[in-house]
Amino acid sequence: MNRNGRFWRSSDGGRKSPAGSSNAGNENGSGTSGLSAVLDETLDNIRNELGNSPDLKIRHVLLPGMVPVKAAAVHFSELANSDSVNQFVIGSLLEVSVDNFRDGKGGSTNLPDYILNRALEIGQASRMEVWNDALLALLSGETLILLDGYSAVISCETTGGEWRAVGEPSSQLVVRGPKDSFVESVATNVSLIRRRIKSSKLRLEYMKIGSVTQTYVALMYIQDTVDDKLLAEVKLRLNRIKIDAVLESGYIEELIQDKTFTPFPTIYNTERPDSAVANLLEGRVVLIVDGTPFILVLPAVFTQFFQSSDDYAQRFDISLLMRIIRYISFIVLMLGPAVYIALTTYHYEMIPTTLLISLLAQRENVPFPAFVEALLMEGAIEILREAGVRMPRAVGQTVSVVGALILGQAVVEAGIITPVMVIVVALTGIASFAIPAYNMSIAGRLIRFVFLFLAGMFGFFGITLGMIVLVAHMNSLRSFGIPYLSPIVPPSLKSRKDTILRLPLWAKGASKSRHTTRVSVPSGKKITSGHEENLSPKIPEEHAETTGPMEGRDQHE
Amino acid sequence: MNRKFLRGTVAALCCIAILGLTGCWDSVELNRRAVVTGVAIDRGPSEEEKYELSFQVVVADEISGKNARSTSPVAVYTGRGRSMFEALANASRQTARFLSLGHVRVLVISEKFGREGIKDIMDVLERDSETRLTSFMFISKGQTAKDSLTTMTVFSKIPANDLVEKLETTSRQFGYNFRMEVDDVVRGLQIPGGGPLINGVLVSGDEKKSDTNDNLKSIAPKATLKVTGIAAFKADKLVGWLEGSEAVGTALLKNKISQMPLLVKSGKGNYVSFSVYLSQVKVEAEADNPEDPLITIKITQQAGLKESPNNLDLTNPKVLNDLSKLLQQETEKQLTAALTAARRMNSDFLGFGEAVKRDNKKGWKMVENHWEQIFKKCRVKYEIDAVIRHTDMRSSSFQAN
Repeated sequence: MNRNGRFWRSSDGGRKSPAGSSNAGNENGSGTSGLSAVLDETLDNIRNELGNSPDLKIRHVLLPGMVPVKAAAVHFSELANSDSVNQFVIGSLLEVSVDNFRDGKGGSTNLPDYILNRALEIGQASRMEVWNDALLALLSGETLILLDGYSAVISCETTGGEWRAVGEPSSQLVVRGPKDSFVESVATNVSLIRRRIKSSKLRLEYMKIGSVTQTYVALMYIQDTVDDKLLAEVKLRLNRIKIDAVLESGYIEELIQDKTFTPFPTIYNTERPDSAVANLLEGRVVLIVDGTPFILVLPAVFTQFFQSSDDYAQRFDISLLMRIIRYISFIVLMLGPAVYIALTTYHYEMIPTTLLISLLAQRENVPFPAFVEALLMEGAIEILREAGVRMPRAVGQTVSVVGALILGQAVVEAGIITPVMVIVVALTGIASFAIPAYNMSIAGRLIRFVFLFLAGMFGFFGITLGMIVLVAHMNSLRSFGIPYLSPIVPPSLKSRKDTILRLPLWAKGASKSRHTTRVSVPSGKKITSGHEENLSPKIPEEHAETTGPMEGRDQHE
Repeated sequence: MNRKFLRGTVAALCCIAILGLTGCWDSVELNRRAVVTGVAIDRGPSEEEKYELSFQVVVADEISGKNARSTSPVAVYTGRGRSMFEALANASRQTARFLSLGHVRVLVISEKFGREGIKDIMDVLERDSETRLTSFMFISKGQTAKDSLTTMTVFSKIPANDLVEKLETTSRQFGYNFRMEVDDVVRGLQIPGGGPLINGVLVSGDEKKSDTNDNLKSIAPKATLKVTGIAAFKADKLVGWLEGSEAVGTALLKNKISQMPLLVKSGKGNYVSFSVYLSQVKVEAEADNPEDPLITIKITQQAGLKESPNNLDLTNPKVLNDLSKLLQQETEKQLTAALTAARRMNSDFLGFGEAVKRDNKKGWKMVENHWEQIFKKCRVKYEIDAVIRHTDMRSSSFQAN
């Protein structure tokens, strides 16, 4: 069956989407409501439903025969590939002989089946009887064939439209490794993965999430490698999602993650197909959301965010060094300014005398306490960074020059900030870029401020307390039942060959599918309850609008 | 849910507010600190002013700042009191900033105080949470301790640092002075029948001009701060100064010599110089009869020949063997000198008593109280092994041909 077929089934069978519930009568009582045996009536219904959209194209055809049958092909010109529509749908229709059907030559009892079976020169086509399904198919870029005298329609797969071509990844760069990246099209993304794993065990399932956007979500995993409990839990959580729009995989991530109130990401995302494939092979589940190049990988553990696919392309000793540097930079990122504050305001005796004297001289004319100084500089660098993300490319250079050089130097010369503070802040700023996963890097940036306050208030004592709380918190985290700090806590020596360390590939051996053995989803643990309450549809009014006319017609008929 | 969330938020905000109320009670910004690098402890004239503490405070701007006014890089404040703490409190009245003792590198005690007893001082230095046990201790020889903190020095703008560097240089190369930290002194105080050893410090030259920049304006400084002999203590009282071979022997016995010059008189009255770059000393006691112990001093030395004014044939092993015998004799002389001095001062700072204690713990208890008498007459045996490893860049001198 075609891929859309799956969607329809899942939408019928499982989820009571908000849209579904709002016009429940429509679905249950008269599912063919808008579909009438009279062609013109059906066409009117479609036009009305879609607000007479100018890009809705209706092509009338007369199927030849002793008693010609009126037919129409309907599609959205901006969504469908006009070549396929013209050549395969309309072209096929024009060659249909109603007489042959009447003679029983096709072996079919009704015309839609006959056309489907005998006439259409198109790979994917299906017969539809449900109004909502037909509309959705139309909105997905398919072409509907309507026949006078039959309420069933034929939907033909003609989806087209423009997508960005596969390009280089923009956020997860490597020196050596594949240069392709996921794109916004779920079909392309699936193909990028499928091409890399030529195994019959690779499984793909489609879901449709978002009551308004009806976004396709592809679930991929490797049968037998993946833990069944994990898979069941993922599906359960996905099915529980109630939201009307899914515009990015972040929406899904937020709704299926284990814990909301944590700075740490518990689901990994990547735009690199090779990374996705490696995770699939380790027994993880991959979620591809239509419309975004960032796919979700779950479950995710802390150490995963410090790995880069580069690690496996370079020699192991070099990768080892790089990994250690990443962990160090994470610590620098979190604790850099905090340690500086603690040292200068509480523990000056720990600074070497010579350095202390130079610090003393620098601080001599600075008006602010070191804590305020740090806060100012950290604030400034966050502003710079945010500006750097948003600003148009053309002015990028200017802003970075102004920000980094002029601001940095002027602030020191004006005597507002000590030069050492600029060094510390710059170091933490740079350290944040050494972490391969952007979301982990932001987590570190956030935590840095907490430590800054603790250090300003209690010195190293505060930092120590903060570290204790942080480690305890990280230990409390789970990603789909997997302890977030595994395999460090709970310890698993076997898996440690590729966590903080990266031993040669031959040494990894059996630990390839390390997480599969460790998956144990606690039976009581489900999606955080808050989601269902908070994220039920927020735009019911719009629904009322879209479904209104339909309901009206139902009553009318 | 919303109520719960609101309540949680309010509770969190209250917590944060409470944290703010406590303030940062012991947080001091760096520009509110006066960092003390050296402390001099002098004996005041009366019991009311028993302690006279001088603090050498760094003027950081003068040392590495852009706003230097070409004034003195350090300032010395003096406070007096019945106790160390009172003296500190009095001194801090004169300073604009908190006197911070976390970076004290040098502690100088005047000889006068040393002769009177230093155990109370050491107690304070050990007890205080700010001062560190790794500060270097000195005894100012014949001068007030304050003098050694008020001398401008050439290499380091901070005289205390300069003194530390001088000590480290001399202990590494040519001298018998070695690192003596607060911790070492406190430990030395507990040697039964002995006492600590503390380096001496001395301002030589024109003391009156030592404390201004003028001191440095000429190529040869008017006054120099220098490390001198070793002050030997009996319990906590200074009993004498060790100089020359007495001091060398002591440093050898304490295993603190890393490199030292050793001169040997050879043949026609010329001196052959050696650099002893390895000395390993072991003091052992045979104290089956604790009243009459036998102390064995085992010493292994390695030396390189540095100067050979004679026409010695240094390629001949016999010559070198003879020289190393002379070397051994010279070492024995130094060790004997140290022992003689210790016996003269009636202080077992060499740690023979500890060797006896190690060997015969029960016996030691019997002699502990009159160890001084035994120390004076106990038998000492030397086992000296000195090897000449090389003759530097040449074998025989060009003069030999």
